[in-house]
Amino acid sequence: MLSRNGLDYESLVKEDRVHISLYTNPAIFTEEMDKIFHRGWVYVGHRGEIPHPGDFRLKRIGRQPVIMVRDQQGEVHLLLNRCRHRGATVCQREQGNARSFRCMYHGWTYLLNGDLSGVPAMDGYGEGFKREDLGLVKVPRVGEHRGFIFASLSPAGTTLDEHLGRAKEEIDLFAGMSNAQEVEVVSGIHKYSYQGNWKLAAENSMDGYHPSVVHASFAQALMDKITHVPTPEQQRVDRNFAAFRGNTKDLGNGHVMLDYRMRIYDPLNGDPAPEVKAVTPEGQARLNSLVQRFGADKAANMLREGGTHTFIFPNLILIGIQMRVLQPLSVDRTEVSLYPTLLKWLAPEVNAIRLRSHEAFFGSASFGGPDDSEIFERVQDGCAVELDPWQLMSRGLHRERREDGMIVGDLSDETTQRGIWRHWKKVMMQGEVATRSVRKRGAGAVAIKRG
Amino acid sequence: MPVDRQRVEQFLFREAQLMDEHRFDEWLALWSEPALYWVPSNRDDLDPAREVSLIYDDWVRLQLRIARLKSGFAHAQEPRSRMRRLISNIEIEEVGDGEIVTHSNFLLAELRRGKQDLFAGRTTHRLRAENDTFKLISKKVLLVNNDEPIDNLTFLI
Repeated sequence: MLSRNGLDYESLVKEDRVHISLYTNPAIFTEEMDKIFHRGWVYVGHRGEIPHPGDFRLKRIGRQPVIMVRDQQGEVHLLLNRCRHRGATVCQREQGNARSFRCMYHGWTYLLNGDLSGVPAMDGYGEGFKREDLGLVKVPRVGEHRGFIFASLSPAGTTLDEHLGRAKEEIDLFAGMSNAQEVEVVSGIHKYSYQGNWKLAAENSMDGYHPSVVHASFAQALMDKITHVPTPEQQRVDRNFAAFRGNTKDLGNGHVMLDYRMRIYDPLNGDPAPEVKAVTPEGQARLNSLVQRFGADKAANMLREGGTHTFIFPNLILIGIQMRVLQPLSVDRTEVSLYPTLLKWLAPEVNAIRLRSHEAFFGSASFGGPDDSEIFERVQDGCAVELDPWQLMSRGLHRERREDGMIVGDLSDETTQRGIWRHWKKVMMQGEVATRSVRKRGAGAVAIKRG
Repeated sequence: MPVDRQRVEQFLFREAQLMDEHRFDEWLALWSEPALYWVPSNRDDLDPAREVSLIYDDWVRLQLRIARLKSGFAHAQEPRSRMRRLISNIEIEEVGDGEIVTHSNFLLAELRRGKQDLFAGRTTHRLRAENDTFKLISKKVLLVNNDEPIDNLTFLI
C-alpha cells in the first residue's frame, strides 16, 4: 500500500475521505508514535490518582513506560521507568505508595524525584562517575491544567496552553468547575482492549451519527425502563436517539466535541434520582454557578452523569464522568482505560449515582461500550478490502458553518472526524521534506526519518 | 431442615447451563427481589458507592440487561459467545431465615469470532429456599482477571 502511495499524507488524508492504510500500515504507526505521541503533548494522568505523598502509578507516553509519582513535597514527577545502570524497570506495581524506587538487578536506588540516592559498592566506580548525572530520566516537558497532567518527550515545541486552546473550557466543565484537589480519581479503572487501530476509538468517541444503530440495544433497554417504570421524570427522557440533537464542534488542534443536551446514562438508574447537593461551602458555590449557567435540570444532570463530550488530541476523551485514555499498542491493537471521577464536594449518594450511570454504558460488561469495540474490530477487518480503499468522511461537509471561530456541524455530521484528521495530517507532515527524500530513493518507502 | 447439598449443586449447575446457553428468560426467572448481580472491577473487595464495578445490577438494571441482550442489537454478542463452564469447590453455609450462601469456583471457556478465552473466578450466591428449589437473591463474582483489560464481558458470568 505504501509503495504505491508513499508517505505523502496529502494524498491519503483528503477533505472528504481517508485512506485505509492509515489504520493498517505499521510504518505509519511507528511514525505516529514518534511525531504525535513522543514529540507532541499527550495526556498522562490526573493528580487525583496520586493524592498522597509517595503515591505512584505506572503510565505510558506513547510506547515508553513512565512512573507518575508525587514526592514528599507534593510535587508530581514523570520519570522514565528504566534504571540508568543496565536498564531494568525500577517500579513493577501498577500503583502504590513508595519511599523510593530500587532496581532489583544491582540495587541502584532512586528518590521519588528521580535522583539516584544509592549505588551498592560505589568504590567500583572511578572519579568520573557522577551520581547526580544518573537519576531516572525525567520527561522533558510536563504541564498541568486543573490537575490534568500532560507531557511531551520533546524538550521544545508549542506550550501546553497553546496546545489545549479552547479544550481547556471543556476540561473545566468536566471537572464541575472544581479545582485540581476536588476531583477524585480513586474509583478504579475500567480496562479493555480491541483488535483495531487507535484512531477508530478516537473517531467513534465523537461520532453523533452512530448511536441509533450501534447502540440500538441500549435504546431498547431505555425504552423498557420507560415502559415498565414510568414516572413523571422518566417521561421527560427523550425516547430514542432520533431525538438526539446538538452540534459537532472543531475546537482546533485536533480537539473536537459533541455539544448536546440529553440525559443518556442516568435514566437507567433507580427512581427518583437523588437530589444534587453540595457538602461544602465551596461546593455550594460551584453548584450555584453551574445552576446559574445551565439551569437547575441540566446542572443536576451534568453532575449525575457528566456534562461534556470532548476529545483532546491525541489520547484523552472526556465523556460522562470518565477520563478515557487511548493507549495504542500496535497498528491494530489498542488498550483503553476509563477512569470514573467523583467530586469531593458532592453528596455521597450523588457520587454513587455517577458510578451507576457510568456502569450503564461503559466498561466490558456494559450496555454500550462493548458494542462500539465490536464495530472497531469489524472496521479493522474491513480494511482488508483494498478495492476502493477509502473511508468516507464527507457527512455534513456542505452544511458546515463557522461560529465563534470554530467549525460547527450538526450533531450527526463528520465535522469532528475531519477535525481530528486535519490536525493529524498537520502533525504528521512535519518533517515532510526529509520523508520525501527517503521516498525518492525508492526502497526506503517504509523507512521513517525524523524531520 | 438441613440443607440438601445435592439440591444446591443442582441449582448452581442449572444456572451455569442457562448462562452457557443464553437462555435469558429462564436465567432471569431464577432471580427474586431484591436482586444484586455484582462483578467488582480491579479488586475483589470494594465500596460500590466509591468505586466502579464491571456489573452492579439491581433488580431493574438486571431486567434491562436481559432486555438488551434479547433486543437483537447487542452487537458484541453477534455472533454470540459459545460457552461451557465448570462449577467446583462448592462450599455451603446456612445463614438462617431460610437463606443459604454458597461459594464456588468456576472455569469458563468462551469462544467468539475464532478466539477462545478462559475466565476463572469465585462466585458467592445467596439463595432463598422456595418450594422445592431456590431463588437467587444476590450473586457476587470475583474474576481472577478483574484488574486486567477485559475485551468483552457481555455474556452472563
